[in-house]
Amino acid sequence: MHLVKDYMMRTLNSVCTTDDIEDVIRLMHRTEMSVLPVVDWENNFLGTIYSNNILKNVLPEQYGFLETRRLLHEVNQAAENLSDIKTRDVTDYMSRRKLTVREDDKMNNVADIMLDNEESYLFVVNQEEKLRGYISRADLLFYLLEVGEM
Amino acid sequence: MITTVTLNPAIDREYFVETNDPGNHQYIYEDDGIRVSPGGKGLLSAINLRNMGYSDVQNIGFVGGKQGLFFERMVQDHQVTTNYVYTKNEIRNNIFVIGKDPVTYTHYNDYTYQVDERDVKELIKRYKRGIVDSEYVMMSGSIPEGVGFDIYRRLINIANERDKPVYLHASGEALNQALDAEPKFVVPYFKHTNKILDEEVETLDDYVQAGKKLQEAGAEYVMIPFHCDRLVFSEDEVHSISAKNFCLLNWLGAGEAYNAAFFDYILNNSFDFIEANKYAGAAALVVAEERDIFIHNKQEIKDMISKITVERVE
Repeated sequence: MHLVKDYMMRTLNSVCTTDDIEDVIRLMHRTEMSVLPVVDWENNFLGTIYSNNILKNVLPEQYGFLETRRLLHEVNQAAENLSDIKTRDVTDYMSRRKLTVREDDKMNNVADIMLDNEESYLFVVNQEEKLRGYISRADLLFYLLEVGEM
Repeated sequence: MITTVTLNPAIDREYFVETNDPGNHQYIYEDDGIRVSPGGKGLLSAINLRNMGYSDVQNIGFVGGKQGLFFERMVQDHQVTTNYVYTKNEIRNNIFVIGKDPVTYTHYNDYTYQVDERDVKELIKRYKRGIVDSEYVMMSGSIPEGVGFDIYRRLINIANERDKPVYLHASGEALNQALDAEPKFVVPYFKHTNKILDEEVETLDDYVQAGKKLQEAGAEYVMIPFHCDRLVFSEDEVHSISAKNFCLLNWLGAGEAYNAAFFDYILNNSFDFIEANKYAGAAALVVAEERDIFIHNKQEIKDMISKITVERVE
């Protein structure tokens, strides 16, 4: 039986609700993660913060999200907007949806949850809902590859 | 959970050559001619604890740059939980060139790593929430440039406020300042200076006095490496832990095995300082008698324990 703990990344790299957006961007850039878990001071998982959500809040409103060609012309505006919000707390921009799996969950279930919710990462928590790591779509694909080779 | 702290980790790159011939090109064609591994005293102890069967072992510290990502991936292979503050500067690389004929050992020790004030603040925040589930905290090793010598003292104070006993394996000024926070266990390392608390140590009496001073300064229990033995200081007694009839192949990793096995003993038995050190000494001996730097399981420690003797010094 294949379990989450056999494929997951055991990492507590995370941000706190009181961290600011600049901290989040630095951590995302350095760890090459576009999504980070948000925890409280007891390491309890509270939700996630997505780079997409930060971008939505800094792109000039009339152009909407993901129109990168037009963004180039408005980059100064976006930079200015980011400057305005970079000291704001994570709590203002995070998602409080707690979509998690446990270390002893079966990998089959991960596929369902990940695809049903269009998530690239699922965060792994223990019985007390404390953060323990994450599992990515790449981990899921690798698992499927292994199953296919059996 | 057990938390280990490694503030100045490194990527260890070992190159095994037939003859180390400086000034000329040398070629390595075999996979086993190169070994790349994650290094750092606290981390090595964490890996040992994982190999001893602890499912929840965490390593907290700094890593840097793109090589930091590589370092974290290597640690993940050992199933240790990582909790790293990513810095702008690249992590250290220690280079070892090991020649076979003649036998040579060349070590380029990289001390270029620097962290900034923002990184230290982030580390403190991470550490506070990272240790909430920990039964014990082990802090071990040197500190990078940019981190104040008071760092261990600050981390121990935080652990003490949360009733997490601390095991400190440190040296120099960082150790001196850490004693104010009264760590429960202290193991000084001093090979590079031969000094403990700024005093040179040479004779057995020097070591005994140094151990007592460490206790006076704040440590509850002290363990000091003394050549191939270890002097252990409890409330009012000093014992020597020795190995007999052994074949020394390497000391690399022996200290970290000792630290990990000490934890293993006190987590699984009622607290007996001498017995814990005896068990830890057996673990160090396992590593010293093999080329590998890690403990693989508890049985190999138990098999070695008959070679360890304890003698009262004072």
